[in-house]
Amino acid sequence: MLVKSKAVKFFLVLVFVLAVSSASFAAEKIIKIGTIFPHTGPAAVSGQNCVAAVETAVEFINNKYDWEGFPLAQKEGLLDGYKIVLVNADHQGKPDIAKSEAERLYEEEGVFAIIGCYNSSSSKPASAVAERLEKIFMCGASSSAELTERGFNYFFRTAATDAIESAEFGEYIEHLNKEKGTNLTTLGLIYENSEFGKHAADEGKKVAAKMGINVVADIPFTVGATNMDSEIQTLKAANPDVVFGAALGGDYSLMVRTMKQSNWASKIFINYCTGYQNPAINKELGADSSYYMGGMGYSPEIAEVYMKAALPAQEIYRAKTGFPLDSDSIQETVCLHVLAQAIEKAGVLNTEKVVEILRTETFDSPLSLSGKVAFAPGGQNSKAFTVITQLLDLKYRTVFPASYADSELIYPFPAWDKR
Amino acid sequence: MNDKNGSFMKSKRRLIDNILWIGLIAVLAALIFIPGAIGKSTHTHVLVLVLLYASMAQSWNILGGYCGQISFGHSVFFGLGAYGAGMAMVTYGSMPWLGILAGAIIAAVTSVLLGWPCFKLRGHYFAIATFAIVEIFGRVFLIWDWIGGALGLDYPIIKDSWSYFLWSSNKTGYYTGALVLFVFIFGVVRYIESRKLGYYMRAVKEGQETAESLGVNSTKVKLTAMALSAFLAALCGAFFAQYNYRVDPPMVMSLDMSMKFVLITILGGMGTFWGPFLGAAVLIPLQEYTRTSLAFLGPGVDQMVYGLLIIFMMVRQPKGIMGFLAEFGILGRNEKKEATGDDAS
Repeated sequence: MLVKSKAVKFFLVLVFVLAVSSASFAAEKIIKIGTIFPHTGPAAVSGQNCVAAVETAVEFINNKYDWEGFPLAQKEGLLDGYKIVLVNADHQGKPDIAKSEAERLYEEEGVFAIIGCYNSSSSKPASAVAERLEKIFMCGASSSAELTERGFNYFFRTAATDAIESAEFGEYIEHLNKEKGTNLTTLGLIYENSEFGKHAADEGKKVAAKMGINVVADIPFTVGATNMDSEIQTLKAANPDVVFGAALGGDYSLMVRTMKQSNWASKIFINYCTGYQNPAINKELGADSSYYMGGMGYSPEIAEVYMKAALPAQEIYRAKTGFPLDSDSIQETVCLHVLAQAIEKAGVLNTEKVVEILRTETFDSPLSLSGKVAFAPGGQNSKAFTVITQLLDLKYRTVFPASYADSELIYPFPAWDKR
Repeated sequence: MNDKNGSFMKSKRRLIDNILWIGLIAVLAALIFIPGAIGKSTHTHVLVLVLLYASMAQSWNILGGYCGQISFGHSVFFGLGAYGAGMAMVTYGSMPWLGILAGAIIAAVTSVLLGWPCFKLRGHYFAIATFAIVEIFGRVFLIWDWIGGALGLDYPIIKDSWSYFLWSSNKTGYYTGALVLFVFIFGVVRYIESRKLGYYMRAVKEGQETAESLGVNSTKVKLTAMALSAFLAALCGAFFAQYNYRVDPPMVMSLDMSMKFVLITILGGMGTFWGPFLGAAVLIPLQEYTRTSLAFLGPGVDQMVYGLLIIFMMVRQPKGIMGFLAEFGILGRNEKKEATGDDAS
């Protein structure tokens, strides 16, 4: 009997506590923002970094920091005291899960906007849900140019696309041929066979055709590959002067290691937004990561010179992950920072008003290399800008364009056995 | 006397099964008319997935459960159906119906063409061959530009309609569609279970040589089961594409997807009518709700729970949920025999 009455008392206390806590939660001024990233699966490391990057933005938006020239940092929260609360979801690298999670976040959790999804193939169906529901979808690092060619009204992407990067790679090759007499005439493409990789390769081919460069190797590989011997041997046999690479996470490590085992390298090897941009992966590769190149919108070295205002935010991120911000994940921080500025400018939490501001205004963005973000019709950030870097001893050295260059290109890629 | 008793028990069991079956359909259909029961909630999403995955598992159960041919290649047929619908909608800008039918027919024909050589293999060797088929099809579809290649096919944004079988404002249409698919596929299995083909399939499963010695053409039976199974799996694939507004090779033609066909059926109970439904009714809500409710514990916890459940089931009761029901005396003598394969008498 005693046991029974104790159980009843415990139950009543539990109900009371839950009622009080839910009532106080409801009274709080919060803005729910959803995130959908791959917490698990082949791109898990990058996905978890993206979550930490969004959390970094939450930290400096919700709290007060005396960072000069950094919008929203010097006040607490948004509007008249609203705090941002994240609702995180894992799409596991699967587009169908990304789509159902987007529906759940908008309809069940009532999030105001979603930030995601890193993988272009997942960003597509998730942002289609947003468009159908007329809700905001902010996209950071998904680089497939097709995402902003759909004419969507509620989709906004901050990062440069693979089309922009390809054009810059082409420009750099022309520059090297003209100024340095490198005579780079053949191109190889190695890419993961996914929405991202295929689209990047297609853009690379377009640039090659425009420049009259001969594509001598076109090599897709399966995401999460366990062996790349045949891919690298094919590349070695074709021996292109230049290679454009699109390999994420562990695939990038495998590709670099297989190239080393094969004792082969092209004269220059340039990467789209891939494992190259991830400091954790390069640390794991150690000295083997050197001499590879890639397009980047951010690196700690670039920030030291051109984006000093971003450095305090980087420390918040470093405390969460142990690494500095990278070129991919920082785009997710920019997404929330820009969205928060739009909400603040709108003055109310109204989707249509915020969308109107996102479409028409230019935002200050200390976390972007250009310092500004503005969205063109379709949602692409027209101010997105990247530089070409080369890794040496785990440091990103900027080699192009000349106005940003801090180092000379080490050319050609040194032979593996002569390092 | 024993024969008469056995026959009476079988009729009684079938009657109870039919009542349960009709009752289940009535309850699921009634949900559509209860205000607020079906709409745009996560619960509706989970119900749609339960019906879809139960249908997929039942289509696999025809070949794997009733006929005893363990296939890991069903995602190929599922994918062909998905591409049928996707190409009709995206490539040709038309309604999906003809594409769905074409995809299902192509899947059935493909299954016969693949089955013909593969059925020369037995047991594990047949299963391994079907693994390879998924890899081959998956890779070909990834590089085949005409069907979208690695970029996949993304559905255009159009108004909600039955004619295009697309909805975004709520899921009532999808739920109704999934229920129709579920009733159709389970209805087909219910029908063939007690027909000649059903008995022939079970005879082949029990022992191919014995069945052949009794005049059963085992190759014909297996090919028929394969074609029917593939046709129905393709219909499920078409629904999947319509539901997700997108199709690409890793989404549909993967070993991961093939494993879902197999796991759900094994968890529920292979070669039983109710097994695929019970497997989906347990696994899908577990998968969906743990992903959302256990996310705070860290990445992948939901998948660990999912994996642990499968390990537990396989260790504790390899005959699946139907085996559990038999073990706890919830099933009658005949049902127990069907679920466990033991002779209860």
